[in-house]
Amino acid sequence: MSTTSASAEATRLLPRWMLFVLTAVLVALVLVPVLYIVLASLNSDVGVASGEFWPSSWSLDSYSRIWTTADLSTGILNSLIVCAFTAVASAVLGTTTAYVLVRYTFFGRLTILRGLVGLQSIPGTLMLLPVFVLFSSAGNYLGVTVIGTRWGLFIAYLTFALPFSTWVMVTYLRGLPRELEEAARTDGASTLVILWRIIFPLSLPAIVVSGIFAFLLGWNDVLFASVLTRPETHTAAVALQIVGSSQEGGALPVYSQIMAASLICAAPVVLLYLAFQRYLVGGLTAGGVK
Amino acid sequence: MATLAPPEQKTPTERVRRKGVTEQQRPLWLLTPGGALMTVVIVLPLILALWISMIDLDQYTLRRWVEAPFIGLDNYVESFSSGLLNSIWISVSFAVISTIATVPIGIAAALVTQNKYRGRGLVRAVFLIPYVLPSFVVASVWRTMLQPDGIVNAWLAKVGIDGGLWLSGPTSYWTLILVEIWAAWPFIYLMSLAALQSVDHEVHEASAVDGAPWWPKLRRVILPYLRGPVLLACLLATLNHINNFTLPFVLFGAPAPEDVNVMPMIVYVTSFQSLRFGLSAAMAVLSLVLIAIPLFIYLRAVRLDVHEEGGRK
Amino acid sequence: MNAKRLTALAAVTALALGVAACGGDDEGGEGGAGKTLNVLIGANTQYPDEFQAWQKDISAKFKAATGAEVKFETFASANDELTKIQTSVVSGSGPDVYAVGTTFTPTAYSTGAFVKMGDEEWQKIGGKEKFNPATLGISGPDEQNQVGIPWVSRPFVMAYNTDLLKAAGIEKPATTWDELTAHAKQLTKGDQYGLAIAYKDNFDPWKFVWGMSTQAGNPLVDGKTAKLQDPAVQKAYQTYFGWLASDKVVDPAAVGWTNPQAVAAFAKGKTGYFLLTTTTATNSLDQGAVKGKWKFALLPTVPPGATSRPANGVEAASILSGDNLLIADYSKNKDLALEYVKLVTDQDAQLDYYKKFGNLPANAAALQTLASDPQLEPVTEAAKKSVATPFTGAWADIQLALTNVAVQTLPELTKGPINTGQLDSRIADAQKAAQSSLDRAK
Repeated sequence: MSTTSASAEATRLLPRWMLFVLTAVLVALVLVPVLYIVLASLNSDVGVASGEFWPSSWSLDSYSRIWTTADLSTGILNSLIVCAFTAVASAVLGTTTAYVLVRYTFFGRLTILRGLVGLQSIPGTLMLLPVFVLFSSAGNYLGVTVIGTRWGLFIAYLTFALPFSTWVMVTYLRGLPRELEEAARTDGASTLVILWRIIFPLSLPAIVVSGIFAFLLGWNDVLFASVLTRPETHTAAVALQIVGSSQEGGALPVYSQIMAASLICAAPVVLLYLAFQRYLVGGLTAGGVK
Repeated sequence: MATLAPPEQKTPTERVRRKGVTEQQRPLWLLTPGGALMTVVIVLPLILALWISMIDLDQYTLRRWVEAPFIGLDNYVESFSSGLLNSIWISVSFAVISTIATVPIGIAAALVTQNKYRGRGLVRAVFLIPYVLPSFVVASVWRTMLQPDGIVNAWLAKVGIDGGLWLSGPTSYWTLILVEIWAAWPFIYLMSLAALQSVDHEVHEASAVDGAPWWPKLRRVILPYLRGPVLLACLLATLNHINNFTLPFVLFGAPAPEDVNVMPMIVYVTSFQSLRFGLSAAMAVLSLVLIAIPLFIYLRAVRLDVHEEGGRK
Repeated sequence: MNAKRLTALAAVTALALGVAACGGDDEGGEGGAGKTLNVLIGANTQYPDEFQAWQKDISAKFKAATGAEVKFETFASANDELTKIQTSVVSGSGPDVYAVGTTFTPTAYSTGAFVKMGDEEWQKIGGKEKFNPATLGISGPDEQNQVGIPWVSRPFVMAYNTDLLKAAGIEKPATTWDELTAHAKQLTKGDQYGLAIAYKDNFDPWKFVWGMSTQAGNPLVDGKTAKLQDPAVQKAYQTYFGWLASDKVVDPAAVGWTNPQAVAAFAKGKTGYFLLTTTTATNSLDQGAVKGKWKFALLPTVPPGATSRPANGVEAASILSGDNLLIADYSKNKDLALEYVKLVTDQDAQLDYYKKFGNLPANAAALQTLASDPQLEPVTEAAKKSVATPFTGAWADIQLALTNVAVQTLPELTKGPINTGQLDSRIADAQKAAQSSLDRAK
């Protein structure tokens, strides 16, 4: 082991050859179907329908047609707005909730912790009708329009994302040493200050993770979005669903356009991830605790 | 899974360790925003769903659903004769197999992207792609590729294998698992990756000085750090698999082949195609209970108390 | 410390807020100067540009006539539509006008949430007489209780490849199912197949079974009794499955086809007949190798195993297919809704819609102007010979049960002749499901 790269070597968990093989296998595992999507998006609808892998004619046609086939641009904008809010809000709320659950004991704490996991097992199909009824009665009785608005969707997604965000933060925060907070508290800092100055910065990797998951939850949902939105508040997933729906009688499958649309819809998330991924590393030890 | 349970080290006296915070200083009010949201958007609808499961709500009573006749547990009784148990079994077995298969893949992916190298960012982004593609797209893509004359069978034929039917009959069960694994392993990957960050640098260095070979080091030193988060990830992933509706729905359509008539599918079809909302709510509540009971027993067994790892530091 | 990270976080939040501010929240036009009518209609991915142009055009005309706005909402699929209808019915709010598939009309009717058309209402949309009488067949359980206003027809026909039939020495397309099977056998050779059938479609299979069975004299529902366990139904399934399983006149890959895939397969020009298609496929077919070499023909109307239709058999060339318009009874804009319905069912609007999207007019006068088109002749004839599926709230379940038999049998189709015993037990299950649904029907 050379001394110059001792530090890098030390954190290397697997032998070099294995790193290489595993990476190659995993990348292939992902990229083969993705390659299919890319090739199909460059093919014609008819070409994909007839089972071609390599397009017999290459074109970017699908990428230009998709914007009129479904209102994808509105959908993406709505999704970005709703999901960004959901991600930030659920990460922040999740962190504060988790902080209380981790650092303090109180009656019912364990029940809440178990309940948070239990909430994950509620099927969306069970909730759809009741949530809709509730949201629409807010409109009927309170005069507040919820259905068809972005913030109605945001409230729903935030709530569905919250148990998970909280759990991610719970697992993370309990590994966090307590000394810094205690020092700060001795200096007279309030809980909010401690959260803002110490907990948030220290747990940024986990916050980013829970934010990403919350974002994706909203980004991928079709079930709730399709009934809680109106055309002008449609999300990307709904637009995509419209492209993918084949109509009774006659329409050729628009496979190529579906593939193009899904790549377009995936792009913002991948870019967002690339932008945020440096916050995923570092984390604890970089926080100056040691 | 139970063998992965974190070591239980906490003793009641540990609570005394927390100093400087009196009872009055506990900022429990911080729980209120989350609590309020969950009450309005989850608990209230859940109570409503419970009510629906006990009334005869179908297309004939839908319009005046408040007046729909109360029929007690009739819907629950009917659920059992509607193939619900079989569906739950399919769902649970499918979910557990999928989770078990994704764990090694996810951890391996986290391990190989732990070290910095040129292009790591790209590899990490690639690993995220299956998770970023909406289920709807993943299912459409695989459905296209797995057609009887699709490219998967074409490639298999080249090496002399008859692929057969992927989307109908008994094979469809394994197809569902296969596609679910493809789509879901990045979840385990992301959770493991976050957990790997909590491994202290000293730990790496200490074991490097020992000159320990990679496998014992990985198993004794690194994996224990992953245990908690990965365990949680497994739990949540399993629940996600169980509740995944879009994937089977788009892959196989409704009505689905019997072998993949998973719980969300039967609930959806009963509710939104047969329009028997009462019955479908009863089915969903029953499956919720049947899943929640083992879940809670398990949660008790692993003792969710959250201080033990803080103690380990 | 960590100022950078905090800044980053703050920046993201600010960005998100900024984006939101740009987007703004749309509150809809209600309560404004003019009223707004909400119309739910199926998304059209085949002709997206024309569809948008049509919406704009109708909005403009509607505004000119009434001063109010029309807002179109689209649904992605039949399932999506049903979900929308249900959530709207239960909450008593949602679109004012729905365009629903004909076979959904009984389901929608059974909710009691749609306006029943009385003489006054019919008068407001220009009179019942303006519609092709056949299209009114699935508007309600009887004349006095109609909710569905015919909008467009999509009668089912078959398409055949003129070149391939000629080459095989077949002079005119088959008129009985047995003849069709015989033709298909003649046409199958090499990489060429007799029939293209979408076995895995979620909506196609039951139409075959219902059609053949109705032609044999059993329309599947008799009052409150389901009649699925019947020789006619069994024969229908056997014929339908047999094309692939024993006659081998269908591409084995068809077990995985939905209707659009079958269209694509027929468009390649290597298949004799494509069963169960309609005028909206015209454009798709003309994009393929089959362009200029295909024609529509009436689906056979003589049940399998027979050379002529039995006395109680019905000449059902197609299910009564297309879209009906329904007006929600919670609507606060019923008069506007009627105005809209009148607008889109008038002769000119109907012809325009046909030209843009290939859906046949439900308006009698508009349909008449198309009668001179020879290519369309079989389709207009099918429109006249369309028979309504049983009008019961249980129909959705019966349809589902019939389809389920097909779905569960698919894996056996590639393994040679199907097992009659197993088929019978599946039909028995379907019968049970259908009967229990009929028992609950009100």
